Amino acid sequence: MVVEKAGSSPSKPVGDRCPQQQEPLRHVKKSKQQVSDGFTVKAMMKNTVVRGPPLAGAFKERPTKPTAFRKFYERGDFPIALEHDTKGNKIAWKVEIEKLDYHYYLPLFFDGLCEMTFPYEFFARQGIHDMLEHGGNKILPVIPQLIIPIKINSGDGIDYSQQKRENIGDLIQETLEAFERCGGETAYINIKYMIPTYQSCILN
Amino acid sequence: KTSEVSAVMAKADGKPKSIHHAKKWSDDVENLYRFQQAGYRDEIEYKQVKQVDMVECWPETGFVKKLQRRDNTFYYYDKQRECEDKEVHKVKVYVY
Repeated sequence: MVVEKAGSSPSKPVGDRCPQQQEPLRHVKKSKQQVSDGFTVKAMMKNTVVRGPPLAGAFKERPTKPTAFRKFYERGDFPIALEHDTKGNKIAWKVEIEKLDYHYYLPLFFDGLCEMTFPYEFFARQGIHDMLEHGGNKILPVIPQLIIPIKINSGDGIDYSQQKRENIGDLIQETLEAFERCGGETAYINIKYMIPTYQSCILN
Repeated sequence: KTSEVSAVMAKADGKPKSIHHAKKWSDDVENLYRFQQAGYRDEIEYKQVKQVDMVECWPETGFVKKLQRRDNTFYYYDKQRECEDKEVHKVKVYVY
């Protein structure tokens, strides 16, 4: 046991373990280092070590919530089939597109644009392409139901190319331009209201 | 709109007598590519198998728009060209 000299400096070394038997118990605790969170009153006290900030989790992988598109696909509710012998740029439809209920299927397919794994992202993207290409006047009444899923997907940071199709951002832009051309006089105003960053393809 | 090739081939009956591969892209090669993607030789076979008189085509370009495959599923094709240059040599041209 080391006896502390009188008049020693108040800041004792960390490894100093000299107990003052004449001193009350609280003084023994004072010399012992305490760990505390930052920006607290305790952190301002002596013999306190402030622990570092917690990890923000910016790089932590965040699993995506399964989309309604994926659930419906796995249940077999979609009238589409994947052909493994094709060149990968076409899907086979079990039902003619002209006979599909666009109010039911088109918003579901747009919801599937969030998917990042095969075959869900392929079906969503190619399905939308086919339905828009062959929908004709069936698309217009469904546009209001599509604005929200498009808005959600337009903020996606994913940027990848898929064979002959562009990335999701380009597909969304293409879709909105089709809406603007076919949606009538108020189409642009309505699209701009929901997606302020949209730039018109008709107006100068 | 029917292609020139199909108009000529429509006069033929039965099976083709010879076959060669396409060397250069054309409207007819594009349509052949679409029929062959769906599992048919050409328009002649499609009409024989499906028992139809007309094939649905895009009015603007004349390219095949929709085909029903042998398993009764449907293939839909774009208004614009789909057959890339690297695929042209795989397209088979049947001569009757």
